Amino acid sequence: MSNQSKKGSFSDLELPVAKKYLTPARRRGLLWIGAGAAALLLAVAAWDFLGRQGELFTAGPLSSNHATFGSDCAACHQPFGEVASDRCSVCHEKYGDALGVYTFAAHYVYRSNDFQRVTTAENETACSACHLEHLGREAEITLVSDAHCLSCHDFGSFNREHPPFELAADDAGLVFTHIHHVREVMQQQGLVDVERACLHCHNAQPDGKNFEPIDFDRHCDACHLTTTEKTPRLPLREPGETAAGVLSLASFQADGGPAAQWAFYTDPNEYRQLGRGVTKSPLHHEDRWVMENLRALRRMLYPDAGLADLLRSSADVPAGETRVLYEEALATLREAATGLRGRPEPEIQEELDRIEQLLGDLERALQDPYTPLDETDFFLALERPDPGLGEELVAEIETLVNDLTGPCQRCHAVDRATFARVQKDQRALRRAEFDHRAHILQVRCLECHAEIPILEHLDDEESTDVAEDRAEIQNLPAIESCQACHEPRQASNRCVTCHYFHPNKTRRSELLLYLDTDEGRNRAREEQTSQTFLQGG
Amino acid sequence: MSPVAEPRAGRRRSGRFRAGPWAWAFVLAAAACLVLYAVGLVLWEVRPGTLLGMSYGIAAAVLLTGAALYGLRRRTMSTVSRWRLGSAAGWLRLHLYGGGLFLLLVLMHTGFRLPTGTWMWWLWLLSLWTAFSGLAGRALQLWIPRVLASGLSVEANYDRIPELVAELRQRAERLVADCDPSVQSLYARKIAPALAAPEQSATFFFDVTGGARARLKDLDYLAGLLSSAEKEKLREIERLYRAKLEIDAHYTLQRLLRVWLWFHVPPSLVLLALVVVHIFTVSYY
Repeated sequence: MSNQSKKGSFSDLELPVAKKYLTPARRRGLLWIGAGAAALLLAVAAWDFLGRQGELFTAGPLSSNHATFGSDCAACHQPFGEVASDRCSVCHEKYGDALGVYTFAAHYVYRSNDFQRVTTAENETACSACHLEHLGREAEITLVSDAHCLSCHDFGSFNREHPPFELAADDAGLVFTHIHHVREVMQQQGLVDVERACLHCHNAQPDGKNFEPIDFDRHCDACHLTTTEKTPRLPLREPGETAAGVLSLASFQADGGPAAQWAFYTDPNEYRQLGRGVTKSPLHHEDRWVMENLRALRRMLYPDAGLADLLRSSADVPAGETRVLYEEALATLREAATGLRGRPEPEIQEELDRIEQLLGDLERALQDPYTPLDETDFFLALERPDPGLGEELVAEIETLVNDLTGPCQRCHAVDRATFARVQKDQRALRRAEFDHRAHILQVRCLECHAEIPILEHLDDEESTDVAEDRAEIQNLPAIESCQACHEPRQASNRCVTCHYFHPNKTRRSELLLYLDTDEGRNRAREEQTSQTFLQGG
Repeated sequence: MSPVAEPRAGRRRSGRFRAGPWAWAFVLAAAACLVLYAVGLVLWEVRPGTLLGMSYGIAAAVLLTGAALYGLRRRTMSTVSRWRLGSAAGWLRLHLYGGGLFLLLVLMHTGFRLPTGTWMWWLWLLSLWTAFSGLAGRALQLWIPRVLASGLSVEANYDRIPELVAELRQRAERLVADCDPSVQSLYARKIAPALAAPEQSATFFFDVTGGARARLKDLDYLAGLLSSAEKEKLREIERLYRAKLEIDAHYTLQRLLRVWLWFHVPPSLVLLALVVVHIFTVSYY
């Protein structure tokens, strides 16, 4: 190296520089190993795809709901396309591969009953757009995120922009005070816990979500309408006579018709007839003699009552539940037909034919999903009393109605010779679901149902008529009460916690009939009024 | 001469970091993606299958491909030069910042959720591994030249190190042949084994001189016992030995960069293959 020139050396040791440009060494091993591993991976992928349907490359295990499909990818997937919803409906619709209750159309009419909202299938969203799979065995694919709902419903989150609850009308037809009843139940049953008194009448359904309808025989009979209960002395009238009077038991027996069956089997000793007056004792809940006389008086006052005449109480049902009215009218007509059968008189047979025809019409209306049920048939007829009766007679009849139903009016409201309908089922939420069982371990009844001040007045024997204690007071918590716990740091506040996207399937057949045919869709578009085939689950 | 020359090292040592246009572009792009993600969280849902999630996935795949082209560029230098396809520094920055953005986009593509399937786990873990090993490489690339430049007087091309070590050994042996027997004995015991071949040692990670002062203690002691002519020869041998230690420091630290490549390049190629399979399966199913 001593012959190296100064120019060809570096450092103070004068080490020789390279004689030529040094190309960095090629490290092919790196590439070969990397490329080899990549090629092996691609080969495994090809083998898996061609021989095992891509089982290895699944995005994740299926949820336990669909775990039985295992590696049968083709059960749901199709090449280069999203998971087709008709594959889902094969199992979920039970009978075929057409979406029915799981369509958007069904969602539109569900709860709203607004058939105008039914849209055509072009707008349908695939099941897989909301129900995400391959997220593991424990994944809850029904827990759809709020984002899906909010893409149509402009509400924001439950804690920020949710509208107030839309509640069904409460029981304005009943005269009822909670405080008094709670106090009585606690005394009679020897209860210390006030909430045990609540449960004395509000009996949970087996699933614990809601409560059984209040039942007179079970909940009220022990105290109300005892054997000493009786009507005042009421004036009698003859059948066909237009006067302020009631019909005697003998008149009902002689008349036939809807009341005839009952009239022959009732206890005649309950009627005490003195001259042109009668007293009935004891009185029963839904006492047939009272009800039939009330119906007769109502016919006198409102001769054109139409279908309302067939009801036992007013036509005030929650929106979308008109079907209940038709079923009640049907029951009355069936009973009337039963009472008239076997009677040879031509006019009776003529009446029977008329009833049979009405029955047929009503049954068809109920069964035919394409014929709208028109609840106006039940409402329009009771607008004003028959002007031909004269004001004096109308006033006398109305006084008689009050006397006849006096014992009943301690609990029931009577208007236009009709008992106000009692909302026995206690369902208040129209668009959402509430599960009492899920909440009862967390909070006590009266922490949420606080509008009626039961606890404040429980020990105050003097307070028998508290202004805030009325049956028509909802006594339901406002949305703020729910928001206190249902917020991101505590209980779930997702849309699907309370709302169901898909309809209740108890009326699946009617829904399918309506939605699954072109005719149904066309008629749905033409429909102008709210319909009643579907009721909120 | 150093293969790990850092063009901006001098500027960094001035003590003031100046973000270049690439860094600003990266910050802006990352911020835009995060803002869009935050908006997406409020208004929609961000999952791999949603429009936003899929957009992140596509952008991540494009960036991964762009980052991978850096490796391809190094192997097609003539073509790159002929077509003037940008400077090495530009490609390196695309590789670095693109790789960083790739990881962010992958995480946003998955909605910052853990994957569920086995292959998704591989894809996710390899994405993390590749990005973080790249970051580790970048850190080494910044640290090693700085360390080598700070305490050493000799620079050495990695591929020339055996040749330079042989040169040092030959010079030392020529010197030792005319030395006092005591020097020859010390050389044979202490120095000759060290000059035999390049040596790597973990010591250089902590002390880039390799503990030279301690190693030269015996030579200092012997120098006190020698005549001035012999002492001069011993000092020359000491310089050669010291140079060898510095070359060993280069050998150790530069080797680390080369070993790092094994942890970055093959997994990156497997990741590319996995992304191809992923795109196919997502499209097919």
